[in-house]
Amino acid sequence: MNPMENFNSLSAAELAELDRACGWSLNADELAEVQRQFRTMGRQPRRGELETIAQTWSEHCKHKTFSGPVAYRAGGKVKRYKNLFKETIVKATRTLNKKWCLSVFTDNAGIVEFGEGGRWGLAFKAETHNHPCAVEPYGGAETGVGGVIRDILGVGLGAKPVLNTDTFCFGRLDGKKKLPRNALGPERIMRGVVEGVRDYGNRIGIPTAAGGIYFDDGYLLNPLVYVGCAGLIPADKIEKKVRPGDLIVCIGGRTGRDGIHGATFSSANIDEETGSSAVQIGHAVNEKKALDVLMRARDLGLYNAVTDCGAGGFSSAIGELGSETGARVRLERALLKDTRIEPWEIWVSESQERMILSVPKGKLKRLAAILDAEDCEYCVLGEFPGDGRLLVTFGGEPVADLPMEFLHGGVPNFEKPASRRRVKVSSKKPAAPAYWAGALKALLAHPNVCSRRSVITQYDHEVQGGTVGKPLQGRYGDGPGDAAVIWPQAATLDPADMHGFAVGHGFCPAVGRIDPYQMALHSADEAVRNLLCAGADVRRTALLDNFCAASPRDPEVMGDLVQAAEGCLAAALAYGAPFISGKDSFYNQSRDAAGREYPIPLSLLISATAPVKDVRRSLTINFKAAGGALFLAGRSLKGMGGSVYNELKDSGNNAVAGLDLKAAAALYEAVRRAMEAGCVRAAHDVSQGGLAVTLSEMAFSGGLGAEVDLSAVAREKGLSAVELLFGESPARLVVEVEPGREDEFRRFLKGLPAAFIGRVAGNTGLAVSDGGERLFFEDIDVLKACWQKELI
Amino acid sequence: MKPKVIVLRGTATNCDIETAGAFREEGAVPELVHINQLLSGEKKVLDYDIMAFPGGFSYGDDISAGKIYAVKMAKLRRDFERFIKDGRPVIGICNGFQILAKTGFLPENRGNRQVSTLYTNDCGHFVAKWVKLKVNKASPCLFTKGLPDEIELPIAHGEGKFIVEDVKEMAAITGRDLHALTYADNPNGSMLDIAGVCNAAGNCLGLMPHPERSFYPWQHPDRPAAARAAAAGRLFFRNAVGYAR
Repeated sequence: MNPMENFNSLSAAELAELDRACGWSLNADELAEVQRQFRTMGRQPRRGELETIAQTWSEHCKHKTFSGPVAYRAGGKVKRYKNLFKETIVKATRTLNKKWCLSVFTDNAGIVEFGEGGRWGLAFKAETHNHPCAVEPYGGAETGVGGVIRDILGVGLGAKPVLNTDTFCFGRLDGKKKLPRNALGPERIMRGVVEGVRDYGNRIGIPTAAGGIYFDDGYLLNPLVYVGCAGLIPADKIEKKVRPGDLIVCIGGRTGRDGIHGATFSSANIDEETGSSAVQIGHAVNEKKALDVLMRARDLGLYNAVTDCGAGGFSSAIGELGSETGARVRLERALLKDTRIEPWEIWVSESQERMILSVPKGKLKRLAAILDAEDCEYCVLGEFPGDGRLLVTFGGEPVADLPMEFLHGGVPNFEKPASRRRVKVSSKKPAAPAYWAGALKALLAHPNVCSRRSVITQYDHEVQGGTVGKPLQGRYGDGPGDAAVIWPQAATLDPADMHGFAVGHGFCPAVGRIDPYQMALHSADEAVRNLLCAGADVRRTALLDNFCAASPRDPEVMGDLVQAAEGCLAAALAYGAPFISGKDSFYNQSRDAAGREYPIPLSLLISATAPVKDVRRSLTINFKAAGGALFLAGRSLKGMGGSVYNELKDSGNNAVAGLDLKAAAALYEAVRRAMEAGCVRAAHDVSQGGLAVTLSEMAFSGGLGAEVDLSAVAREKGLSAVELLFGESPARLVVEVEPGREDEFRRFLKGLPAAFIGRVAGNTGLAVSDGGERLFFEDIDVLKACWQKELI
Repeated sequence: MKPKVIVLRGTATNCDIETAGAFREEGAVPELVHINQLLSGEKKVLDYDIMAFPGGFSYGDDISAGKIYAVKMAKLRRDFERFIKDGRPVIGICNGFQILAKTGFLPENRGNRQVSTLYTNDCGHFVAKWVKLKVNKASPCLFTKGLPDEIELPIAHGEGKFIVEDVKEMAAITGRDLHALTYADNPNGSMLDIAGVCNAAGNCLGLMPHPERSFYPWQHPDRPAAARAAAAGRLFFRNAVGYAR
């Protein structure tokens, strides 16, 4: 007998077997709850109903782990959370309660105020597409980009995308580890991902201008692909509300059998049996058509609500929009690209480039005229009736008939144990390299430091003509920018409006291996500092959190998560920077060739955005002119933990420098005021590779050397030269101040750690000394040649 | 008189808004027109004073860049020919150049046969970067009049390698200085480093670099050093608008 027909009488073991066979990724408690509900209803479930529940309750859609209860054990004490997400990330936002946050955590993206006069909102969102990229890198990356763009199109009544971001984590390209039979090599994955982002982002005409690439063998079997998108929305188009009687209209792509079970697949560990059939197929042209139609229809007020079809397809998009009104869906009306498809498959298919609109009956004709003019296909799937019932049929046959409250309220949640990971930390004096310049050159050529030019130039990072702060900048257009500065003239259509916004990132999983709490602090700090270096108004920073972790069934993974989430709370409060949106991805874990579990390190990407009042005054990193006065702002601390230097050669010290949040916030405000007064000409943060790398990058992207003496640098007692040059203690940046305005700059920084360290030279030599001792002298062209090692 | 500019769109055209914005800044009245609106007769090519084919990926660059758009234009071929023959300014930027090459309007030849193409870059993939361009002062091109000997503009294309079918066709270009712009450091393998080609009358230009992305000084990667100089791309639009006036 078909197990679906006697679902209500199956044993727990049979339910588990059915779950596996159908690929739902529901756990025993959830399966029992579903069974209980249907027993109460007094009937057997239909396949379509079980599929709907599996999608709606999936980790991907509900974020059960992060927003569930946790018991965290550390040092004999237990701390309980009812909802970890609400008590950390959301708490920061609620506590800060910033007026300029227009929409947080509720919609497809967070929205903050943009520009002056309250006309515009800036929507920003980032998510991950890790599992698909592991099995099919090109398609996975394409659909990841397409998906996050649709989030921006589907926020409020639709925002116009003006920036794409991407951050990737891959295994080391030069690694020698043996891979399992079905795993793709890191270079193959990287090429596929880069090509996917390129072909989708370029075709749709959105600049891909911010992000990063990070190499670590922890990502060998589980690459991470973070994709983000920012868009502009008129402030009066943020509210959306489905009205009973509205039609359900699907526009854009057709529905096919690609991407069945993508939402549930993301909760499964990848193993040898994982195929690529769960990955969707992207088609940028269809999304561009939908974008062009939406922007026109939005301004004409032709629909009441919009959302995108992402994970779970129609089932979650229509389910979300109709969560109050209910929905009546006739699946036979869907436009298909595959006729062999089952009705329940139409309902959950994750075929790309589809948007769902809630359209008043009287406006359908005008909307259809625009759709036809843009050659964009559409179908009317049904209506939102207002009775709170979800009724899905195919040619009269019911596919699903459920009360909405069961779907959206019924998911059971249980407490997850979390415990603190034990890490051996050594604080002994780090070993110095034999040859300082040699170590610097090796650092510059390290894959986590070297030029990303070969990747960046494959992306159209200047389409829309608003990329003022470029990923490649400086005198030769090849230096590494800290943050993208976007002047959204193609969205405001007003070239006299000089407002822009900056987007920067912070990411340091190597620190997280030692101290997840500090990792969160360092990441938020790096993101804020990157914005500051671009000349943004960091008093109005908004953050996104994107967590990627291994299986939450491991208490230590949950322990890492708890600490990092607490770090996010502390950093957000100290910097006055609320989180406005976020996403998490778990089960980034695989078995290697020897059958050993291979979890990723906890990976937290902090994306940050802040306004730039006049993009013409935004800053770049390169030295501008001989004679420029160089200052190092911030205190240099001990500890080589998480540094690139330690990866290159073990210094014997893996302590992580603790970030003094209060001091950092005060320092940034002073630097910001100095920038506002116009005395700063260039700024660059000290991050991957440390101070020596920062100075080198500023020098060779400006084509000018410098004479630097670090003797006056504010430092922790007993700081070694290795820690000073190559340590990565946070909250530091190098600035070039216009000659003659040094005293003015000092006045702004009065009482704060900011030391004069030398001047930009008229030649191409970079000389650095400390305490009367010359540490190194090197030609910047030699340093640049080391740094310009191409990745692909 | 404010010249009317038709900025031609199709499915998945991009750069249209910036290109229209550039003309507006120079005092013209741009209008975004979808090829479907021309085909249906709703709009007419000859009602405008200036024509611009913006960059982007019309029809996703399927088959080859600009090909589908060129095929769609075939029905209205006479109108387009007449527009060019009238001496009204026509500029094709990036995808626009690819369209002009595939319709056979550029390089100019008797019967407007397709005699050239813009093939996949030698490196095999899309490239976006700033390049130095040499301006051919002897060229009849009206868009490049008054530019310095060397300018910088960004390129962003996967298919930008300019090739012509034979020596005769190339001689027809070089013999009359129709190669208005050449690369200082060839980024895609184009024959004779050619980046932009115009017709003999000088009113129709196709070029791979994007002048609309170097319209304001702050769009340059080297700031603020570059902010002191005027942006090179602006003159292309100013010349066209000035000419149409």
